[in-house]
Amino acid sequence: MADDAGKQQPPSLDEFSKRLAAARGGDANAKEPRAKDGSGMGRAFRLSSELLAGLIVGVLLGWGLDRLAGTSPWGLLAGIFLGFAAGVLNVARAMKATGNAPPADGRNDD
Amino acid sequence: MIGLNAAGPMEQFEIVPLVPLSLGTIDISLTNSALWMIIAVAVSAAFFLAAIRRRALVPGPLQSTAEVAYEFVADMVRGAIGQEGMKFFPYVFTLFIFILTANLLGLFPTIPGAPHGLHTFTTTSHIIVTFALAILSISIVIVYGFYKNGLGFLKLFAPSGVPIWLLPLIVLIEFVSFLSRPLSLSIRLFANMLAGHVILKVFATFIVMLFGAGATFGWLSIFPFLGIVAVTLLELLVAFLQAYVFAILTCIYLNDAVHAGHH
Repeated sequence: MADDAGKQQPPSLDEFSKRLAAARGGDANAKEPRAKDGSGMGRAFRLSSELLAGLIVGVLLGWGLDRLAGTSPWGLLAGIFLGFAAGVLNVARAMKATGNAPPADGRNDD
Repeated sequence: MIGLNAAGPMEQFEIVPLVPLSLGTIDISLTNSALWMIIAVAVSAAFFLAAIRRRALVPGPLQSTAEVAYEFVADMVRGAIGQEGMKFFPYVFTLFIFILTANLLGLFPTIPGAPHGLHTFTTTSHIIVTFALAILSISIVIVYGFYKNGLGFLKLFAPSGVPIWLLPLIVLIEFVSFLSRPLSLSIRLFANMLAGHVILKVFATFIVMLFGAGATFGWLSIFPFLGIVAVTLLELLVAFLQAYVFAILTCIYLNDAVHAGHH
């Protein structure tokens, strides 16, 4: 229906989606701050869980190695340091990720 | 003294078997946790079925909510992974909606006098549930990463531009950091839900205790009551935010699998 696309007809769907896309493109900048919002407590939870998770995994790996290879306490010691380093790395990455938009190489929609 | 012998703040997290079942020696009873997971799945499925029943050009309230949810997650996936990430959209969307529904269901107050097994239960406040979800996400990342990039996926552990004598240490640290991802995903969601619900219960206990303290101090119970209203609102935000964070981090990790060579 509506082949002749008269003036009284509602605008066609194609035209509408074009206008919609234009309007969307226009406020693309307005959408950016959404990634940043979220309470301070949320941020604190995020960062502390990153640090904690790194440490827990490091300790578990080191401890497991000790149990298997009988190298106690060196595995655990190495694991604590590695885990702490990994936790700090996680926190640094998380800080970078919350500060701005996702990594630039993820944006290439070809 | 009312309140002191009432339920403690941790009792809401107790797992109660509802239908005892066992598979050999393994206990697979239907617990209240499993029941509320089933309810979360049923509620979200029913919502989306109802929302898309009439596919109107000008959407009604239900349909536009569903469309907003779709757009939101689709934007998230496209933003974090790019267009080729849309093949993961069904998974990320399911994950987001399931966690969101489970979080929100946990905020409903329990009907007074309901049997213990039917108390509202926040499945996401148990680390084993969130850990299972996180392991699922990371498994998809690992399997897809090796499927798409082959051994090139291992380049993830060796960032470019690192001096060769530092490389063994960096690889170890990156490896531990990678292993810590499922843990940090699950700890974050579980700790948020647990803390929020404990705070709610503690405030609620204050109300009852103050109310029972008699005429002189009874009126003070209005303050924890106002507090509980505020905390409930905050919890609504947290319920949404944590579902969002879980989904977006899944997207970011999937991005590593899709674009492993770009490091």
